[in-house]
Amino acid sequence: MSAPTRTPARARMSSPAPGPRIQPRRTTGVPYVLIVPALIALLLGLGYPLIWQIVTSFQKYGLSQQFGKPPEFVGFDNFANLVWDGEFWAVLVRSLLFCVVTAAVTVVIGVLMAVLMNAVGRTVRLILQISMLFAWAMPVAAATTVFIWLFDRRRGVVNYLLDAIPGVDMNRYDWLGNPLTFFFVASVLIIWMSVPFVSFAIYAGLTQISEEVMEAAQIDGAGAWQRFRRIILPMVRPVLSIVLLLQLIWDLRVFAQITLLKDAGSKSGDFDLLGTYIYKLGTATGDFGMASAVSIVVLLVTLAISWVYVRELIKEDEAQ
Amino acid sequence: MADGGDTPDTLRDYLKTEYKKATGGTLTIEEQGWGDALAKLQTALPDADNTPDVTEIGNTWSPTFTNVGAFSDISDMYDELGGDKLLTSFVDVGKVDGKNYALPYYFGSRYVFYRKDLYAAAGVEVPTTLPQLTEIAQKLHNDSTSGFYLGGEDWRNGVSWIFAYGGDLAKQDGDQWKSSLSDPKSIEGLEALQELYTSASNAPVTEADSTPWVNINTQPEAAGPEAATIIAPGWAHWSIGDLAPDPKDDTKQVATWNDEVFGAYVLPGVDGGVAPVFAGGSNIAISASSKNQAGARELMKIIFSKEYQEMLGANGLGPANSDYVSSLGDDQFAKALIESALGSKLTPAAVGWAGVEGSGLLEEFFGKVNAGGDVASLAAEYDKKIDELINKS
Amino acid sequence: MTAVKTGRIALSALAIVLAIVWIFPVYWMANSAFISTAVLQQFTPHFFPGEYFTFANFTGAISDGSFFGALGMSVTITLIVVAVCLVFAFLGAVAISRFKFRGRKSFVLALLLIQMLPAEGLFIAQYKMVSSVGLLNTVLGVSVIYIAAVIPFTVWMLRGFVAGVPAELEEAAMVDGLSRFQAFMRITFPLLAPGLVASGVYAFLQAWNEFTVAVVLLPAEAAQTLPLWLRGFVQASATRETDWGQVMAASTIVAIPVIVFFLIVQGRMTSGLVGGAVKG
Repeated sequence: MSAPTRTPARARMSSPAPGPRIQPRRTTGVPYVLIVPALIALLLGLGYPLIWQIVTSFQKYGLSQQFGKPPEFVGFDNFANLVWDGEFWAVLVRSLLFCVVTAAVTVVIGVLMAVLMNAVGRTVRLILQISMLFAWAMPVAAATTVFIWLFDRRRGVVNYLLDAIPGVDMNRYDWLGNPLTFFFVASVLIIWMSVPFVSFAIYAGLTQISEEVMEAAQIDGAGAWQRFRRIILPMVRPVLSIVLLLQLIWDLRVFAQITLLKDAGSKSGDFDLLGTYIYKLGTATGDFGMASAVSIVVLLVTLAISWVYVRELIKEDEAQ
Repeated sequence: MADGGDTPDTLRDYLKTEYKKATGGTLTIEEQGWGDALAKLQTALPDADNTPDVTEIGNTWSPTFTNVGAFSDISDMYDELGGDKLLTSFVDVGKVDGKNYALPYYFGSRYVFYRKDLYAAAGVEVPTTLPQLTEIAQKLHNDSTSGFYLGGEDWRNGVSWIFAYGGDLAKQDGDQWKSSLSDPKSIEGLEALQELYTSASNAPVTEADSTPWVNINTQPEAAGPEAATIIAPGWAHWSIGDLAPDPKDDTKQVATWNDEVFGAYVLPGVDGGVAPVFAGGSNIAISASSKNQAGARELMKIIFSKEYQEMLGANGLGPANSDYVSSLGDDQFAKALIESALGSKLTPAAVGWAGVEGSGLLEEFFGKVNAGGDVASLAAEYDKKIDELINKS
Repeated sequence: MTAVKTGRIALSALAIVLAIVWIFPVYWMANSAFISTAVLQQFTPHFFPGEYFTFANFTGAISDGSFFGALGMSVTITLIVVAVCLVFAFLGAVAISRFKFRGRKSFVLALLLIQMLPAEGLFIAQYKMVSSVGLLNTVLGVSVIYIAAVIPFTVWMLRGFVAGVPAELEEAAMVDGLSRFQAFMRITFPLLAPGLVASGVYAFLQAWNEFTVAVVLLPAEAAQTLPLWLRGFVQASATRETDWGQVMAASTIVAIPVIVFFLIVQGRMTSGLVGGAVKG
């Protein structure tokens, strides 16, 4: 679904289920009956739209077709148009760049936060965790609205605080006014929302590293950085790689944040990422054929990123 | 029925009561913000279960929806609803092959509001030509107060400069339209706009047609207002004035017009007279997929009745039927509205025009011009982009 | 030793600063929500409501005509999605963790791939499907899409919990004379409670917070959910000067149920996190 899905339960994915292995029972009709409801729900909500979308991406399907004119099969025309469309490439590159930078920064900050949680006393850790829980819990629509207010040109507290620094003139600085600062705000918002998940997941991994190992390393003369690289990083690597993949996938789908920020800023296409670009193509200019073609591209990009992750999970499932 | 939210509550109540009297049915009026209206209309209109029976539609989108067959043919009612008395330019955008599909609902127009106190302090007079306007705006301008507050992406106001210099957004060639931003006259207008924006407006480049009037009111605790001059739709005058706590709710503020401080004038032409501004307003039509065509036709009759048309006028919305324009009254706002509306111009009646607006290309283009870009090369670039959409349905 | 101690104090100080930074946006939302708009319109921000404290923003936001309709939509959709997903996902999870069957692997693969599909890549098609059967602006239309989006992950999550209950326990109970079904219901099911709670919370958060699909499938004002109401509220307030007090009160109202839910199940979820990572 839309926003980066931020629930602690996600972290469970990183690990095989607890408990002893069981022997699956022999094949009967029972399992098929059991999966039928889920299967029907999936086919209804995702299967049919997916097929419609693939078909439509090969059709000329505009506003006239919306109002009843039969669509016309055009082969790969829509995709060919995309290849020559400068705006599409600009949006695609911008989206990938935004996604990679935001996900990387999120994971780095998340790891540092986890290490910090591990290093401080219980009370301080609890304060930090509770504060992050609040950020984690904020619904995306509310969080984005709050950020628009924080960064408001005239009365936003961010400009007020920055302006108070001697020598800095940020009075009425229009953050949403140019693409670079616009995406900076979007990125800060997404990082703020996603770091809690990353740091909680990594922190959980860190608590499994035994005190003895760390102490032994310290006695052997390993410095803080060495301990981080040689012991901590290898221990949390499996969790880390999965968390990074999830962030990449989630940061590619940031429709809600960008839509709401654009409400407060510009209508210009320079501020679009893939989600808002498709929405505009489909519902505002009425070109469903092209919108479907771009959607297919998005699905393929997502699947390419997810594939690594899914392969890991399959292995884990087989190990059970 | 779906409307754009500019219809005042008293008018809505009137429609509901009259509709009940005429048909015994209940009229639901659904308000849509203009922002999403285009996307919503595209999706709801073809869908018999979700379509509004009667829908208000931005006049600039009428050609698109009329051409794709979204509306019912109401040629047979045309004379009964006012016929030749109805605003011709609006009737034309709702017509295909000589048949009437969408008719004018109301017209609005844009004129200029200004601060008399700031003009007096700077020793400037109300301008009579467009170049003069730029001149005085520059004199009035400083870092905290815009001489002429105009959003960079605000093409609906900015286009008046193209019109004033004799340019146009697009030209018709046979049954095809071509974007004409690169026309020398359009370029001249855009350069004049760019000069005004860069030298006399503090508004963000990304600000579109939003709420300029909040900037002309005195801001609490600020040294002065944000703007000495703005351009806005006529009905904005209800929101302009001295701010004071609302007597009904002291956490809110209301603006009361003050003739000492505020004034209005029409946008002057290049050599005097009145500049053609963007013709605001909307059309109204019956959705072709509506299951209640008979009820919808009854509602149309109520809307085009003398009583309702005069109610529109009394509320500052220009009535579609020229017989009732006098109902706007004769105060300064009515005068400015009528004067500016007479010369006003519509956007191209091209089938793909709604798509052009939906794509955000115009906001993008005006934003880049006002950010100080090279007008000629931008115009050529966006002519090309707009041409791809303007004939497409 | 003192160097270590100052180091610890410095780290604690850093942690406190970060805690303040992280909670600040939430605090600022609540703070602005309790200050009257007239005061917020001044250019100097107030860091505490103090003498300007007011509930007017909340009453103003709630008395906005469409609030209760949106609340009703959100609650109804969320309840349907949570209930349906729990039942369907539970059955599916039992199938893949307790049985070996032809097609199992493809089913699992499909689940995993499907949950990666972004709504951004499908909403145009979902829109066409839902509108073609006349379910635009209805609870049912949007619920069908939400359920399909939430099911893959809930099946996957519950699978871990079901597999975590040793089948030997059930078999022991069967030796005591219970049927397989009885054994399952009496032994395994109660042990799944934490898993069901976690999955339920997941489904709740998804349905309550969802924005993208809702924008597309619920275009009518009368059918909007709370996140859409919040957006509409911000847009509507732009015709006057944006009423930030009310907007922040509205944001607070949308966020409160989620935050409360989060804090209540927080302990369980944190232990779930740690529990999961033990085997990581």
